[in-house]
Amino acid sequence: MIRGRGLLPLVACLALTSVLSAHEIGSTRVAIWISADRYRVEIVTDAQGLADKLAAASKAPPGAALGAPEARGFEERLRERVTLALDGVPVDPDVSYVVSSAARDIASVVTIQLTGPLPARARTLEWTFGWTYAGYSLTVHRPDRGQPSVTWLNGGESSSPIDLTGAVPVDSRFQVAARYLRLGFTHIVPYGLDHVLFVLGIFLLARQFRPLLMQVTAFTVAHSITLALSIFGVVAIRPSVVEPLIAVSIAYVAIENLLVRTLKPWRIGVVFVFGLLHGLGFAGVLQELGLPRSELLTAVVTFNLGVEAGQLAVIGAAFLLVGVWFGHRSWYRRRVVVPGSALIACVGLYWTIERLT
Amino acid sequence: MFATSRRFVIGLAASGVIVTCPLLAHDFWLEPSAFRLEPGASVELRLRVGEHFVGDALPRHPAMLAQFIAAGPAGMRPVRGQDGKDPAGVFNVEQPGLVVVGYRSRHSFVEQKPEKFDAYLVEEGLDRIAAVRATQKQPTGLVRELFSRCAKALLVAGPGAGSGHDRLLGFTLELVPEKNPYLMRAGGALPVRLLYEGQPLAGALIVAMNRADPSTKVRARSGVDGRVSLGLSRDGAWLIKAVHMIPAAAGSGAHWESLWASLTFELAGPPAMRSAKKPRP
Repeated sequence: MIRGRGLLPLVACLALTSVLSAHEIGSTRVAIWISADRYRVEIVTDAQGLADKLAAASKAPPGAALGAPEARGFEERLRERVTLALDGVPVDPDVSYVVSSAARDIASVVTIQLTGPLPARARTLEWTFGWTYAGYSLTVHRPDRGQPSVTWLNGGESSSPIDLTGAVPVDSRFQVAARYLRLGFTHIVPYGLDHVLFVLGIFLLARQFRPLLMQVTAFTVAHSITLALSIFGVVAIRPSVVEPLIAVSIAYVAIENLLVRTLKPWRIGVVFVFGLLHGLGFAGVLQELGLPRSELLTAVVTFNLGVEAGQLAVIGAAFLLVGVWFGHRSWYRRRVVVPGSALIACVGLYWTIERLT
Repeated sequence: MFATSRRFVIGLAASGVIVTCPLLAHDFWLEPSAFRLEPGASVELRLRVGEHFVGDALPRHPAMLAQFIAAGPAGMRPVRGQDGKDPAGVFNVEQPGLVVVGYRSRHSFVEQKPEKFDAYLVEEGLDRIAAVRATQKQPTGLVRELFSRCAKALLVAGPGAGSGHDRLLGFTLELVPEKNPYLMRAGGALPVRLLYEGQPLAGALIVAMNRADPSTKVRARSGVDGRVSLGLSRDGAWLIKAVHMIPAAAGSGAHWESLWASLTFELAGPPAMRSAKKPRP
């Protein structure tokens, strides 16, 4: 399809197309993330430089800022020199961008994201970026490869086809369920020390089964709610807010263990609120891991079940190692609950400070 | 966090050819933070690669840098900078007068398809090389080319200064202004000489462009004495460039070697309009 307006630049571009090898390296960086059924491209480049190049291409005077009213049509012009092709056929990604404000000695940088679906039949991806004249690095992250690969390209030079076979598995619902169940579990044991400490804090207060069950249930219901709300885009809270609060919650339960001897009625409410926070944390992790669009609900539910299994495993292990043997002893509180809670409180406070700074 | 996205249809060629707009040979120039300085001031120098006077900054790269110098009233000094940093160079102008800053790069290597290479020869006015390629049987496959940069910027410290604009840095390909542009005004003509290995280079295309209107090019071919006269109509920053190509040395692994000279400076506006009418006859 050729639109009248676009014909002349198109012909000019084809006449001038060339491939130069990279030696003069600028400050632009491009990274491509291949997930099970999505691609995401992130371009990081000098904001003013890009604005000037876009302006020059449309014969506008330089100096306009990205995002300013003069920069209307940014996306259309950006797309003129950006090509993402699957199996040789250009696709039409969603474009979003964010400009970081300039700091002292550091020019402002624009981060552009191009995203779109990867059909299961796609075998190769080719990338071309013509808005830099200098060489730039292209980093490709694939879920089935350990280290990301880095190549150097010149502005306008097409990447060699990136192999997608193997990176785009077509998973059945059962395979998705098994994978996210495992991811949920390993997010607690062994990778989620903060959640483990929180659960141990709950365990240490309650020697009997009933208060333990009530706390665990409140926590589970709460984190299931926020995990789902967050994944489905109903709530969004930045990790910089959530993570320190999770650390606070760990310190809180441990300190309360030191101050009270039995389960107080408010404890269930407090654990519920903290459960809401932990759910947001789980959602953040799940977003980073990536979610299969086709089996989103399966993945969220099984991840949550995996998290649950991880927590029950922690409580079960603590019960078998400590509770069953010493839970009824008179010195249990003095020698187990108090030092254990004090240790957890210290770690929680340390993390609070660390995550705030 | 990200601006809302909208979908657009990309204009695609009916043939299904991928639309890319990479540009051929890129210009290279020195961009100072200011062309006119107070004595004692410090100036930052950016290396720019691009086209139509718009480009990307290149951080200082020790493997690429052959020479980065400033020649002023106090003599010749190296331009210092931090590796990996943009701007690539910083220096202080101590005395009033003209300062010629120069950056010379080491060789870079380029490969391109023969048809692209030929289009690039036309674009850069490298007619002699195009003629050679047209008459000789050319090797098939990619054309390999070495290239290097010889960029200069002319700065002024203090009021205006007299001479020093034609100071030679001894670059392999060097553009030399034969008049002090800081004593000129927009609308005047600047004589420029192109030297290759210190000798005048005849028949080379020399192109000038202004920052405010870079798509309008002033073009001229150098005469037998390597000279052109460029009519510079506008005030503000100017970029003058020239490309020279020679067969690459045997054993270099390349077919051709190109050298890219550039010169940047700033021109003052035209003199203020006098209110007096034309004298009567």
